[in-house]
Amino acid sequence: MLAVLPLVVPGYRVFTLSYMAVFVIVGLGMNLLVGHTGQVSLGHAGFLAIGAYTTVLAMTGWDLPFIVALLLAGAVAALFGFLLGLPALRLQGPYLAIATLGFGLAVTQIIGHSAAFGGHMGLVVPSARIGSLSLSGDVSRYYLIVGIALLLGLASRNLTVTRVGRAFRAIRDSEIAAATMGVDVAYYKTLSFAVSAAYAGVAGGLLALMTGFISPGVFTFTLSLIFLAMVVIGGLGSIAGTVLGSMLMGYLALEMDAFQQLPVLGGLLETFTERFMSPGGLPNFGWVVTGFLIGAAILVEPRGLYGLWLRLEGLFRRRAEG
Amino acid sequence: MLSQVLASGLSAGSIYALMALALVITYKTTEVPNFAQGEMAMVSAFVAYVLLTDYQTGFLVAFTAALVFAFFLGIGFEGLILRRAKNPTHLSLIIVTLGFMLGLFGLAGWKWGADQRQFPFPFSVNRVVSVGGVSVSVLSVATIAIALVLMLAVFAFFRYTRLGVAMQATQQDPVAARINGVPTRMIVGLTFGISSVMGTVAALLTAPLITLDPTLMWDPLLKGFAAAVLGGLNTPVGAVLGGYLLGIIENLFGAYVSVEFKSVVAFLIIVVVLWFRPSGLFGRHHSRKV
Amino acid sequence: MTVAARGAVVSNPALLTVEGLTMRFGGLTALDDVGFNVERGTIFSVIGPNGSGKSTAFNCISGVYRPTAGTVRFEGKRISGMAPHRIARLGIARTFQNIELFRSESTIDNLMLGRHQHMKTGLWRGVAMVNGLTSAAREERANRAHVHEIIELMDLGAVRDRPVGELPYGTQKRVELGRAIAMEPKLLLVDEPSAGMNAEERAEVATGLRRLQRELGLTILLIEHHLGLAIDLADRALALNFGRAIALGTPQEVRKHPDVIRAYLGDGPR
Repeated sequence: MLAVLPLVVPGYRVFTLSYMAVFVIVGLGMNLLVGHTGQVSLGHAGFLAIGAYTTVLAMTGWDLPFIVALLLAGAVAALFGFLLGLPALRLQGPYLAIATLGFGLAVTQIIGHSAAFGGHMGLVVPSARIGSLSLSGDVSRYYLIVGIALLLGLASRNLTVTRVGRAFRAIRDSEIAAATMGVDVAYYKTLSFAVSAAYAGVAGGLLALMTGFISPGVFTFTLSLIFLAMVVIGGLGSIAGTVLGSMLMGYLALEMDAFQQLPVLGGLLETFTERFMSPGGLPNFGWVVTGFLIGAAILVEPRGLYGLWLRLEGLFRRRAEG
Repeated sequence: MLSQVLASGLSAGSIYALMALALVITYKTTEVPNFAQGEMAMVSAFVAYVLLTDYQTGFLVAFTAALVFAFFLGIGFEGLILRRAKNPTHLSLIIVTLGFMLGLFGLAGWKWGADQRQFPFPFSVNRVVSVGGVSVSVLSVATIAIALVLMLAVFAFFRYTRLGVAMQATQQDPVAARINGVPTRMIVGLTFGISSVMGTVAALLTAPLITLDPTLMWDPLLKGFAAAVLGGLNTPVGAVLGGYLLGIIENLFGAYVSVEFKSVVAFLIIVVVLWFRPSGLFGRHHSRKV
Repeated sequence: MTVAARGAVVSNPALLTVEGLTMRFGGLTALDDVGFNVERGTIFSVIGPNGSGKSTAFNCISGVYRPTAGTVRFEGKRISGMAPHRIARLGIARTFQNIELFRSESTIDNLMLGRHQHMKTGLWRGVAMVNGLTSAAREERANRAHVHEIIELMDLGAVRDRPVGELPYGTQKRVELGRAIAMEPKLLLVDEPSAGMNAEERAEVATGLRRLQRELGLTILLIEHHLGLAIDLADRALALNFGRAIALGTPQEVRKHPDVIRAYLGDGPR
């Protein structure tokens, strides 16, 4: 079905779908780190940035073909992920959160102030091709991005059902028990950072491809928050949930007027905004919704969207049987 | 010039120290860092702004109203939202505070838009006064003084009042406190109220300096956080010292090395410090008994 | 018969040798110069009232703590101060007094974690798994089969796929034991297996442990608060009080030792 979408969907929506797929890739990595290994990261936009900039610089500076640059992006991001994972070994919850937060901010600040990286002005992404196939159209990019997302999704799923995934979850549930079972906690913790960073790095390269232009202003703390939010809302630890949550947040992040477009609710929101709120403030409603969803995910349905899905499924099944 | 830099360092540090202390007192009772603290303060500052501009109330009324609002916002958040978490792991509670932070940010943006507004202050922001040969802005002096007084008051409160002592007991050993008849649930709520008030004072002192908009407290929150982590999340005194330290180091770096990387330095220091002392400079690491 | 303050290194090396084990936390001395040997194939009980340092000793042996002083040797090799995962790989498994299961994982996945050190699938092979075909898949199947045997042995078939956090206390203890056995250990440390149980359940624990030792050829080091159970099971015993060894020998000897009686019952009528 995914293969057919670009053919039936209006042109500009293809871009949206690709954007959502990029978010899904980040989400898959975040899910491994947060959902499975139980770590926290408030700085994953930093890895996205590293991936994006590596891709662009490899293409412009070394004339590397896009795919190679993309792989390099993943590797470089993984390296930084590993480096960030090292202090993470010693740090408990809030300390780790701050360290990752600092990392994310430091990355964008350093990029922003370095002429080599284009500073605040950013960099233009050169045109890309794979062999003789040009990647300049939305549709070709869609197929590439979604294809990569599917591959990475499969990889992620495989990882979670085998030994490494179990080790991750053991660390999440009880580090001490994991260690006494023979799990090298230090290794797996840094591995989870490296892998999740690699995912974000690849996503960064793909994002660069899609948008044609990258600048530090894209990779903000709020973006890192969105990344964390989407795995929480989707349902920590569940791949299906992560995909759902990532798609949702990717859509909201891109479509500022998503809520105004809703059939009945949109109109109500607009009227309400005109009377009580600041004109032009409606796009912020997305944040309100996100905050609310996060709260709902934790307070009401800890399994997130995936949990809601299970409930709906259960409901339908009961109706069918009864 | 050095004394100038130190003065601005102390002034910035006062804000960070306030935020850090506010963070630590709620962290000690719940083991959850309240990321929503900054936004709660920002919204309260907006309340003051609205009263001042739309309703033309005096400064005293507006500020007091903002603080009262902040107090109940804190209590409300803890009682109605945080306490209701179904699966209260530390990670999920942290995420709840992040969610509340985003929600408040969205509400503020929706209600008041992103325009930057000039926050009226009792005296002109630019007025400068000479203190021991150094010219400091009145605002800086006010900030340093007010923050110091407030923090001392909070410390005194914890030490010398019955309620304060009860709060300390709750922080150290909630179970023992409850057994001894301390109403721990109410205490935790009150702690959040006090923390919110402190954050709001920081916001009201920051707003005149940089314009008022929904992103007002982002930097102070992050820096306050960093300061608390630097000092040690479970030592109030350490957190406060961390705040001043951070303010001074940051401004020294900005004046003598590079203005551009001023903010990054703060975080890089944190990472370095945490590498050597994972619980902050003065914090104590407590491990679970198995 | 006599109180051995230091473990004697016998000419026939015991499986586990503890000498002069001391553990201090700041001003608190949790263990003070404790020594004992555990012979291969036996059950050794460590008894003592609450706070006497029993779990601390376990934590020192399994690598959770680094002892302040003294040595622990396993099969002649010094393990005190080693990281816990490396000690586990040498063949020591343990359970925890307060149960440290992976609560959101199923019973079978908890047990599969016990197989971690016997499996090789890492990042790349794990990612490339194709059901039934690749080496990762084969390894999964083989280890699952092994784990199924343990599930049978521990009578956990009914709860195989349920998240262990939901299970009743007694069942959780069995899962934890099963997980430890899945490691194919040479030495099994069991921490308070009968905590929170009544007499009937306790008797089941005793027979269970004896059976495990026989069928799997395990050596068991047991912490047990309940005097009767510890004495019944043990081939040899050590009594601790306030971190010090107060009696070492056969269960009967230890039970009759005046210091032990005093430790458990207090100093006589008040």
